[in-house]
Amino acid sequence: MASIAAQTTVAPGRTGSRLRAVVKGAREAPLVAIVILGGLILVAVFADLIAPHDPTLPVKGTNIFDPPFWMEGGNATTPLGTDFLGRDILSRLIYGARVSLIVGLMGTLVAGSIGTALGIVSGYVGGWVDQIIMRVTDAWLALPAIVFAIFLAAMVGPSMWNIVVILGAVYWTRYARVIRGEVLTLREREFVKLAEIAGASRWRVIKRHILPNVMNTATVLASLTVGVVIIAEASLSFLGVGVPPPEPAWGLMLSEARPTLMAGQWWLTVFPGACILLIVLATQLFGDWLRVRLDPQLRNL
Amino acid sequence: MRQFIIRRILYSIVTLLILSATIFLIVRLTGDPVALMAEASARPEDLDRIRHQWGLDRSWPVQYVTFMQNAFRGELGKSFNYRLPVSELYFQRLPNSLTLGLAATLISLLIGVPAGIISAVKVNTAWDSVAKGVALLGLSIPGFWLGLVLILVFSVWLRWLPTSGAGDWRHVIMPALALGWYFAASMLRLTRSSMLEVLGSEYIKLARLKGLPDVVVIALHAFKNALIPVFTLAGVNMVVMVNAAVIIEVIFAWPGIGRLLYEGIFQRDFPLVQGVVIMAGFMIVGINLVVDILYAFIDPRIRLTR
Amino acid sequence: MRRPRFEARRALRLLAVALILISVGSATSQLSSPAGAAAKGKIVLAWHAGFASRWLDPQEHDGTATPDNFLTALHDALVKNQGTQLYDHPGLAERYTIAADAKSATFTLRKGIKFHNGEPVTPQDVKFSYENYRGAKADVFKKKTERVEIVDDRTIRFVFKEPFLDFATLFGTANVAAPGWVVPEKYYKQVGADGFKQKPIGAGPYKLLHLEPGVKIEMEAFDGYYRPVNVKQLVMVSVPEPATRVAMLERGEADIIYFVPGELINKVGKLPGVTLAPVLSGSFFLEFPGFQDPKNPFHDKRVREAVSLAIDRRAINQAETAGMGKPTGNWINPDVQYAIEWPEFERNVDKARQLLREAGYPNGFNVDWVTPLPSFYSRGERVIAQLREIGIRGRLQTMERGIFLQRLQGGLKDWPGVQIILHGARIGGSWSFWYEGHFKCGGFNSRDRICVRDLDGKFDQYERSINPAERKKLAEEIQRGILENYYLVPVFRHAFVNAIGPRVVAQKWQDVFPTITTGYAYPWEDLKVKE
Repeated sequence: MASIAAQTTVAPGRTGSRLRAVVKGAREAPLVAIVILGGLILVAVFADLIAPHDPTLPVKGTNIFDPPFWMEGGNATTPLGTDFLGRDILSRLIYGARVSLIVGLMGTLVAGSIGTALGIVSGYVGGWVDQIIMRVTDAWLALPAIVFAIFLAAMVGPSMWNIVVILGAVYWTRYARVIRGEVLTLREREFVKLAEIAGASRWRVIKRHILPNVMNTATVLASLTVGVVIIAEASLSFLGVGVPPPEPAWGLMLSEARPTLMAGQWWLTVFPGACILLIVLATQLFGDWLRVRLDPQLRNL
Repeated sequence: MRQFIIRRILYSIVTLLILSATIFLIVRLTGDPVALMAEASARPEDLDRIRHQWGLDRSWPVQYVTFMQNAFRGELGKSFNYRLPVSELYFQRLPNSLTLGLAATLISLLIGVPAGIISAVKVNTAWDSVAKGVALLGLSIPGFWLGLVLILVFSVWLRWLPTSGAGDWRHVIMPALALGWYFAASMLRLTRSSMLEVLGSEYIKLARLKGLPDVVVIALHAFKNALIPVFTLAGVNMVVMVNAAVIIEVIFAWPGIGRLLYEGIFQRDFPLVQGVVIMAGFMIVGINLVVDILYAFIDPRIRLTR
Repeated sequence: MRRPRFEARRALRLLAVALILISVGSATSQLSSPAGAAAKGKIVLAWHAGFASRWLDPQEHDGTATPDNFLTALHDALVKNQGTQLYDHPGLAERYTIAADAKSATFTLRKGIKFHNGEPVTPQDVKFSYENYRGAKADVFKKKTERVEIVDDRTIRFVFKEPFLDFATLFGTANVAAPGWVVPEKYYKQVGADGFKQKPIGAGPYKLLHLEPGVKIEMEAFDGYYRPVNVKQLVMVSVPEPATRVAMLERGEADIIYFVPGELINKVGKLPGVTLAPVLSGSFFLEFPGFQDPKNPFHDKRVREAVSLAIDRRAINQAETAGMGKPTGNWINPDVQYAIEWPEFERNVDKARQLLREAGYPNGFNVDWVTPLPSFYSRGERVIAQLREIGIRGRLQTMERGIFLQRLQGGLKDWPGVQIILHGARIGGSWSFWYEGHFKCGGFNSRDRICVRDLDGKFDQYERSINPAERKKLAEEIQRGILENYYLVPVFRHAFVNAIGPRVVAQKWQDVFPTITTGYAYPWEDLKVKE
């Protein structure tokens, strides 16, 4: 695959200029994306205050499969309707934001950390360490991600934090490859060579020179991966190895509502589906914008 | 050049070895399948007998070596559940998966490439956003939901298409759409950035100065530049699709490899899972190898990379 | 938009279309049946799970109710469960007798019965099938059988070491064991057990045309069957996704579908020409593995009773089976031998909370996992929600059915911590199968998870006894002991809701599902399609 030449590299220690690059483009920022993401984060944080009902208990005084309040048979206390157990959809969506965000953000963080670390080591240290890591990366990539995730979930048992780790362990490969490419280029840059000649230890070079410069790429990659991870969580729930019920998670809600799509209770699928759509779209738009701001040369993402 | 090719082939072999060892290990770590294979009234002696019959009582390194030896001869073991050689099951299902993968790849190209072109030509306008939006939708909607909605609309309400199973082109369209739309976004991105790169280059500016109409400019130069990476990506994606379209195949009851693998995992059918993953890995690594070599032909600088 | 120079792209597209057509063509050619459209029609059954090859071989019956859906199409038995007869409906045997001392059983085969390959069914084949049987309960048969005698060219006698009172029910109930299902000895030995599963040959009403492993089983009527077979082609397709099965029914792609989930029952019932078939099946009940441990909260009977009081059986029945199941008392089907009737359990959430307080759990407690029988997860979730109301907080554990069975058979070590299992009982035969399978210490499904000594002691007495009155009394005492102590908490007797499409002849659903011991649509030869 084509090598990547990063034009907007940051001189050592100049993390400030990255922020400045971001802020400079603030006027063209994807407002919609930011508002959506910000809103979802707020909802997730303040779920206990916002949600009208307990998301795991049926709501008293309502039936199962109540439609949204503007339809006949709907109820204002459960404005978006109830599910197959009589639980309030709105409350489940609100608490579900927590799960989606945690799984999405933390999963990406785990994947990004592992991948970036391996990418840096691979690119900077080189030699057979590099070869081994790259071969492992290739092998991992050849293993279908979902299949791998199913296995791991079947091994360690499903729980939200296990899913985070599992998804992190599956999606790190994207980072390793790209970061390694970046590091290979960076290695040849003057300021890095200067530092090496001056006797700086490898660790110091990595910390002060390499790491800040790959953060751009890593950040862009991360914003693009969040959506993928969230969809992966939904897929895992569909296959029965996602976050265990009755914990509300959007992917799980979609999966549980599969039969009802045929039965006409559209609100059970449209609302969670819309939420997933919103958050993934928002992260994708945000990621695209970040990419343009921070590192326009990244073609292959 | 030859050194490059040899090196790449060696890498592929190492990758496959690591892959096979990984799946071998993982599959055994999920638990003992013998009780699942035994008849219901099995006593411990029966379980031991079965364990011995399938070679599961030997140490893992020994099992692995035997497995690899057999694999090189083309024998990937016998499925516990279906009692058929894994390679036979795989190749039985392969045409179905190839059909689906090809159709889905086409759809991803049909959505992603035109959207990418529009997006690049009309960059930063509303058209750009619309095109990007269409492709991004594919990334944002979970495949199983899309599949069910398609069945609901086109099979149940409109009665235009059959619900599930394999058959003629009418059976393929919905699963291909549900599977392919996801990959359209990466097609779009690639097309768009490749075209933008060329559209901004000196060569194009010169062509424009010469007075050639926009259409010619675009068609001749920008698009050709985008073609190669797009089609290589399409090829890579297709191989992935062929081997791992689990969810779509389950929804549409499509008799493909993804479903075979999925059922094998949940039934702890070791040989099946191992065999399918190895075959899939072989295909994927193979395609990557071919792509790498092709790229090296085109761009000599790459031959120097490690 | 027409662009003049896009030949390359168009050419590529044409090539791709050509490639698709070629590959689809090769795929389709495998799927068309050589028999073609027959005068007597075709029925497509949408099966709700995957296919396991061992289900086509009666010799390896796995002890669940699943294989008999397939065995009854391709194979036949000496006697079997069919219609309203629980185990002694004549099949390949036209009559049989059991000796007064229960130490032997003699069967007479019909005249002129054949296997699909034209070979006659002989007592030698019966003997081979019985002696070579390796499936569920094989150890019981082997232990109790002295020898198998071929009396003449149509008669065979099984001689036992001691009185074998349960022989008839075990032998003749297809969802329990299958030593009486006859396979051709010569052919079986020739192709081997694995080869047999790819191309099974039996004596049943249908013969195998084409097997696509895990996907589709195509069968054709066997004209050498001793009963008339009405439908020429019988096709079974694996469709694990319930919404897709319903869509197939709606579009006429499937004529019979199994297992309509609760949410879709009403919709399916309203489809034109479609008949719902709510086959009453076995009970769902709760088990508390490891409750004998004093540290386990379920050790205290009051806690178990609280669980029972908290479950809203009617709501579960209504939601899961549109009210077509029964929120009954006993976890054993009341229509089998020696089963007792039991009144519907009370629901009283306040009393449940009170009992929990008395037992020392005023704020409830956590349960590690609630595991329902796969894939009845929505039921598990309802139970979890109802238990949450009284403070017992659990999470749902899902797994593939094979793994579930494996864990069950693994015993207590596979169920650590505080757990609840929501079982679905197998059905068949006599009350003792329920006890033996799900309760007894060392039982097939129960292993070491329950082990109530005094009840097990009584069961041993029951097994040893040959006095029917004593047996009945013991049976009732044991069942009362279980229910009064809430060792198991019955939830409801569920209806396995299937649906029959408009092309199948059915005045009422029992026409298609006449066999009361099963949720499947056999005997297959009796199905009819409309002209």
